[in-house]
Amino acid sequence: MSRLDRLARLLGLLAALSIVFACAAPATTTQPTGTAAPTEAATDEPTEEAPTEAPTVPSTGTLTVLDWAGYDAEDFWVDFKEAYPDVTVNFEIGASDADIYAKMAAGDQADIFHPYTGWLHFYVDEGLVEEIDTSRLSNWDKVPDHFKEIGQIDGKQYFVPWDWGFTSVLYRTDKVPGGIDSWAALFDPAYSGHISMWDDGPGAVTVSSYVHGWDETAITPEQLEEAKQEWIAQREHNLFYWAGEPELVEGMAGGDVWVAYAWQGAYATLLGQDVPVAYADPKEGRNSWVGVYGIRKGTPNYELALAMLDSKLAQATGENVVNLFYYGHANEDVMGGITDATLKEAFSIDDPGILDRTNFTPNLTAEQRDAWTAMWAEVKAAP
Amino acid sequence: VDGHVGGSESRALTRAAEAAASALNASPRRRRLGRAGRGTASGALGRGGAFWLLSLPPVVWLALFFVAPLALMAAFSFRADLRGGLLRPFAPTLVHYEQVFEAASYVRLLGVSILMALIVAVVVTALAYPLAYFLAFKAGRRATLYLVLLLVPFWTSYLLRVMAWKFMLGSEGAINSLLIFLGVIDEPLAALLYNRGAVVVTLIYVWIPFAALPILAALSRVEPSLLEAAADLGGDPPSQFLRVTLPLSMPGLLAAFFLVFIPTVGEYVTPILVGGSAGSMYGNIIQDFFTKAGNWPLGSALAMVMLAITLALVLVAVRAIQPQRLVR
Repeated sequence: MSRLDRLARLLGLLAALSIVFACAAPATTTQPTGTAAPTEAATDEPTEEAPTEAPTVPSTGTLTVLDWAGYDAEDFWVDFKEAYPDVTVNFEIGASDADIYAKMAAGDQADIFHPYTGWLHFYVDEGLVEEIDTSRLSNWDKVPDHFKEIGQIDGKQYFVPWDWGFTSVLYRTDKVPGGIDSWAALFDPAYSGHISMWDDGPGAVTVSSYVHGWDETAITPEQLEEAKQEWIAQREHNLFYWAGEPELVEGMAGGDVWVAYAWQGAYATLLGQDVPVAYADPKEGRNSWVGVYGIRKGTPNYELALAMLDSKLAQATGENVVNLFYYGHANEDVMGGITDATLKEAFSIDDPGILDRTNFTPNLTAEQRDAWTAMWAEVKAAP
Repeated sequence: VDGHVGGSESRALTRAAEAAASALNASPRRRRLGRAGRGTASGALGRGGAFWLLSLPPVVWLALFFVAPLALMAAFSFRADLRGGLLRPFAPTLVHYEQVFEAASYVRLLGVSILMALIVAVVVTALAYPLAYFLAFKAGRRATLYLVLLLVPFWTSYLLRVMAWKFMLGSEGAINSLLIFLGVIDEPLAALLYNRGAVVVTLIYVWIPFAALPILAALSRVEPSLLEAAADLGGDPPSQFLRVTLPLSMPGLLAAFFLVFIPTVGEYVTPILVGGSAGSMYGNIIQDFFTKAGNWPLGSALAMVMLAITLALVLVAVRAIQPQRLVR
């Protein structure tokens, strides 16, 4: 075997190994720096309490949160950190709603998890989520009723609403001078090659039902077939399906995308970059999604988990959600206190009727989700 | 996306390593060594014992992280839905396979993906061969340096390299800017990015150095004395190449081809980044059912169909070519 031959093999092996290790490196459990770890277990604490009083919240222990990348930053639980400096908070990261659900269904031991509207039913159906004792949440009064209702299933409060945002049509005002007043713009051949839809089946069904005036919670197989055909036809006008907000922002800032299905985070980011964009107030109404927190059924840390959710609703944490991610927060004092002009614009704060004209994403059953996602896969696979 | 990239790449590389290893094992020299070695028992364990002891870790590894997940996936593909515990018993059903074949677009997309993989594999092998030939025969003392240079880009992230192609092909990218500067075109060509062509171009770029390695390994083993003998017997350079070098390097060539073809059929990262709305490959559909739809059973059925068809294609190809005949 020649020297070169041996080197070729060695290099190949090294390249393979380095990539394998690089991929294996990011661990799923991250412990944020700055949390000095008190090691005593919470369960060792005596939990005697007067029967009339609320159970005491242990001041030490460990809490595990299954959350999305980015939300593990201390900014998003700063109130809890201040109130419970000796509690160690660990984070596990979920990549998508499907991923978080799969983890919880597989027996993940996280105390708290963070799904979005559309997925809540499954956790209740499978008995994975504990009911919330709202009497223990000091910030609960600051949450508007329409947000509270989103976390209720079968008349019980299973989830605490936390972050939310709009979905609407975002467009470049220089390329679309006439403006946009309908979701139908996403299908308009006038913008062929400059449209970008979100890569998501339920999102597509939502748009179709707004355009046709269908009841989104009772889509018939015929309507689903019609939606499939119109999205297949839409594909030739669509530049790319965006998967993450940065991808969309880049496309719109660069001038390739003129009209897009978008969350208000992209709108605020583009406004901040002085890109000429506007966020439509479609005649069918905007859409809104809400992120909620649930507590795992059977967690030994229920008290601490409730304390965490209460502080998640507190002022400083909420302001960070608004200022760092441009998302809305469930605490209306936080939203009322926004002074930044761009953010006021992004949330239409000065338009008191906006939420009444907004359609909140309904909760889907497993059958609806499977049918809608399969519809979308067939759109992407179509010739 | 990052996590997916890692998964796809490490999976591809594991397969690549396996393919390369089998190609190397098929070399005549290895065979001779193996046969000679088996005859002489040595040490307390004996040749056989040592062999089993040494192969235990990889066998256990493969069983745990390759065979077991594959078996689980096969089982999931016959499960009606994910309700209830992940490991609960269930009554097997064929509904997901029916759904795969009823929506004719899935099978058609698999055909498109196989065709794309075929184009990528043929072009990559054709481009990698001269590269490997140069390194093996012409580069001389600098061969090591060139090989290192060839592999340098691969120490950066796969994602970064594909993103670089986005900047190359984009409407304000390098190619369009150059063409506009030269006055060849007035408007940027939109057709460069966000289509299947962009996916094929990017994949070809990504695979060339990997494909060069098994070919280089095969070419390095060609004895110069054989070529001298051919020359002595009156063979001119083209016939020396066609009748000595090429047949002897054929196992490496085939290893390179399958190394590229097999992972490319199931590729899904590159189409997401440069494929656009109509550039999805079969792998994207599988990925969507696992990571977005939470429909593991349908995703598993799609994956099993791809596995079966790819395996069948490789078996047919191997039977037709009969690589063991080539190395004699």
